[in-house]
Amino acid sequence: MSQQLNEQPTARVDRRTVLKTGAAATGAAAVVVGTRSAGAAERVFRHGVASGDPRPAAVVLWTRVTPTAAATPGSGKGPRVTVRWQVATDRAFRHLVRQGRFATGPSRDHTVKVDATGLAPARWYFYRFLLDGVASPVGRTRTAPAHDSDVTRLRLGVVSCANLQAGWFSAYRHLADRDDLDAVLHLGDYLYEYAPGEYGYGVGNVDVRPHDPPREMVSLADYRRRQAQYKTDPDLRRLHARYPFIATWDDHEVANDAWQAGAENHQPDEGDYRARRARAHRAYDEWMPVRLDGTAALGDGTRMFRRLRFGRLAELSMLDLRTYRDQQVASSVPGSPVGPVADPALSDPDRTMTGRAQLDWLKDGLRTGGAQWKLVGNPVMIAPVTFAQLPHDVLDPVNDVTGLLPRDGLAYNADQWDGYTDDRREVFTHLRDHGVRDTVFLTGDIHSGWACELPLDAATYPLGESAGVELVCSSVTSNNLKDITGSPPRTTSLAVETTIKANNRHVKYLDFDSHGFSVLDVTPERVQMDWFVIGDRADRGTPASWTASWATDSGTQRLRPVDRPVGGTR
Amino acid sequence: MTRLRRRAFLEVLGAGGATLAFSSAVGAATAAPRKRSYVLVLDGCRPDEIDSGLMPTVQGLRDGGTHYPRASSLPVMETIPNHVMMMTGVRPDRNGVPANAIFDRGLGAVRDLDRASDIRATTVIEQLNRSGRTTGTVLSKEYLYGVFGARATHRWEPEPVVPVSGHAPDIVTVDAAITMVEQFDPHLVFVNLGDIDRLGHSDVTGTTGEAARRTALASADLQVKRFVDLLRSTGRWESSLLVVLADHSMDWSLPHRLISLQPLLDADPLLAGRVRIAQNGGADLLYWTGPDGQRQAAVDRMRTIAAGHPGVLAAHDRVAERAWLRLGARAGDVLVWCRAGWRFSDPDQTSNPIPGNHGHPATYPIPFFLAGGHPVVRRGVTEGAHARTVDVAPTVAAYFGLPAPAGGWDGTSRL
Repeated sequence: MSQQLNEQPTARVDRRTVLKTGAAATGAAAVVVGTRSAGAAERVFRHGVASGDPRPAAVVLWTRVTPTAAATPGSGKGPRVTVRWQVATDRAFRHLVRQGRFATGPSRDHTVKVDATGLAPARWYFYRFLLDGVASPVGRTRTAPAHDSDVTRLRLGVVSCANLQAGWFSAYRHLADRDDLDAVLHLGDYLYEYAPGEYGYGVGNVDVRPHDPPREMVSLADYRRRQAQYKTDPDLRRLHARYPFIATWDDHEVANDAWQAGAENHQPDEGDYRARRARAHRAYDEWMPVRLDGTAALGDGTRMFRRLRFGRLAELSMLDLRTYRDQQVASSVPGSPVGPVADPALSDPDRTMTGRAQLDWLKDGLRTGGAQWKLVGNPVMIAPVTFAQLPHDVLDPVNDVTGLLPRDGLAYNADQWDGYTDDRREVFTHLRDHGVRDTVFLTGDIHSGWACELPLDAATYPLGESAGVELVCSSVTSNNLKDITGSPPRTTSLAVETTIKANNRHVKYLDFDSHGFSVLDVTPERVQMDWFVIGDRADRGTPASWTASWATDSGTQRLRPVDRPVGGTR
Repeated sequence: MTRLRRRAFLEVLGAGGATLAFSSAVGAATAAPRKRSYVLVLDGCRPDEIDSGLMPTVQGLRDGGTHYPRASSLPVMETIPNHVMMMTGVRPDRNGVPANAIFDRGLGAVRDLDRASDIRATTVIEQLNRSGRTTGTVLSKEYLYGVFGARATHRWEPEPVVPVSGHAPDIVTVDAAITMVEQFDPHLVFVNLGDIDRLGHSDVTGTTGEAARRTALASADLQVKRFVDLLRSTGRWESSLLVVLADHSMDWSLPHRLISLQPLLDADPLLAGRVRIAQNGGADLLYWTGPDGQRQAAVDRMRTIAAGHPGVLAAHDRVAERAWLRLGARAGDVLVWCRAGWRFSDPDQTSNPIPGNHGHPATYPIPFFLAGGHPVVRRGVTEGAHARTVDVAPTVAAYFGLPAPAGGWDGTSRL
């Protein structure tokens, strides 16, 4: 049954009703505290609570209930139950503003997903769920500012690539310790598909914690169980409860290096790829506080790309770069995940990463008359990272005749926009043709920290214009270059970083060695990204420290280093 | 000279040694104002050029004032319409000036909109005059001098004018602005500095070295410094609001990136001989001159042909899209924009030899900030609001406490 049929929100509660209901809610809370143990809450709401996709008057609220011991994730077992949800302006739930009931059961893996509407813009709310007198942990969320409001600041935590087997989610813990964010932006690879023993910690692929189920996730039950396992991580649970998430998926939510009809990590004996992807997306829709196809309902479509607005200050276009893309061009280095790739197919205008509809939608959002900052939640890097570039004015006439060379040089990673340069050309050309400024791509995927300008022609840069900037967060835990090579930090990677920066003069900052999180601070003056790095991923208590900050001033499309993070060093 | 009747003339030796000629309305007030406002237009300046290191004075004024980094020009991104929007506070469908050049249906020819009668809305200059205040125009380009005519209490006629470019060098223009302030001290002075634009247009290295352009930026900055130094040294700074902006940005094309639509339109059976083009650099205005009954079919045909040409960004039905284009009937039937790095050359391929162009959307971005010592100026503030050229008049009017014109402003006060 769909969520719309299940959800029964009450009307907005007027002040007198608030007083009455608040008293009732207080009583209910007292009953919970008085008669049911904290253990009951932990048993029933063991996957925590979450919120996401904030709009000025609405936010998605999420939980999963375990009404009976048998009703484990992916089991298909357990009764249908009705869960109450409440939104209040105070943590004690004395001032309820919205409430309702939501029926769930095994058909949706006992998940609860509500689009709580009728809220006020730009304010904090508290929410919780109740089942049979047991209250969930209290979550905190924040609505977006009104569309036409003048917003002076937006601050987001930025994360990607959290592989549970590769370590503890300390990056999430440190983000949750902050109290100065508006939301958390998750740029994909929220979870990984691998079986224990595959893609763990470092060269030896050691599992710091093994995945559940103990196999590569392929079935719907697998995807549900894996989603459930990640939601039981205490650091992730706490972060979800502290801030609304704005998430998109990359490849590992389904399988490695996914494209529209397959994936590197999808084999023929694993069945039809599109059916597998549908199962992964179903579980994602059940378990994540996102609106797919614009709604919190299940089964009404899986369109991930969507736009959120934060007053006149910023719009955030969240991309899906896996569902519609053509297959990647193979690396010219056999067995290597990276190039250099010299295949002219990289620049074939008939190949796409975004798909036509999404590209048109993205361009429509990148216009002068919209919000000031055009932020793009971009799962894979858009900045050219190539070698042996030739100026477009030289290369284009050659290719008109021969079609032999990729337009932006030899790509080192054809899974990024470098593997689909015609889509990138169309985006950058659009920005230039329309005089669009203040576009910032926010990216994950590559397990390293980058700050790049976006040259219209990388070969001649810094002569010529920049279309915008790109800020790339490091991975929460997934292996980076030093982990893959087994080298000590700041040894092998330094040479690689130097080579890349020398060949790509628009790359201003590159850290191949660190794990952690970023904080994005948006004001009318500038957008600044702070990179924080953690110590050993295998150390559950590892600290975090600030390592770099870069900013782009409004109107410049260029980057400058900043000597301190927002909110002070940590 | 009929437009200048009822005005007095004054010749003054400027700081640079040249003789500067001013005309003034007879009986103009001479009392020193309590509030002053100066609108300085850095014609064709791109916002990023202020951070180039060549414009420290302008950069300092911007960073110490109220900065609008999202600011943009408005269609058509040309000099005359945007200056007229600055002073009228309304869009071309209300002020009558949509482009530099139009096809004048009455005249049967393409002409510049450089006549005082071309402005069909009240300017803030006239509003100030009516309120008993005085105004001045120091406009470096001949066609700007023409279109604003005798509206200001005091005005300077650009002289000497550089051949071909039709503008007076910045050093002379600022001489005139300084002299205007020293001699007449108007409440509002509207200044256009044309070197950045003019040297951008003609700079054949525009897409690479931009050598002449860089020289012009540094020179313009020096001239702004001279003007600001005057205000500071004479105690006027504390009573002054400066609105500093550009009218449009600048883009450069390569010689082979040329769009010439007239031959294509003339090759079409429906359109042949019945379409006239007013070329505006990065924008072409297309006018159907055939029977009214065939107008929509002709518009559709013109758009199809134009859109099929490499380098064309968009071909808009001016009437169907009037709600956002706001250009009015004088802009013709179809507005065609080129992509960045291209230019129009109509009616033939020799018509537009200059590499630097504007008029198309790539040239939307402009610098826009408020400076000055008057307490109304907020210091060191960056605003995310989308300021536009049409905001100047409402800003100046709000500063002086003047009401909006009949029908209201199309712009917004940025105070």
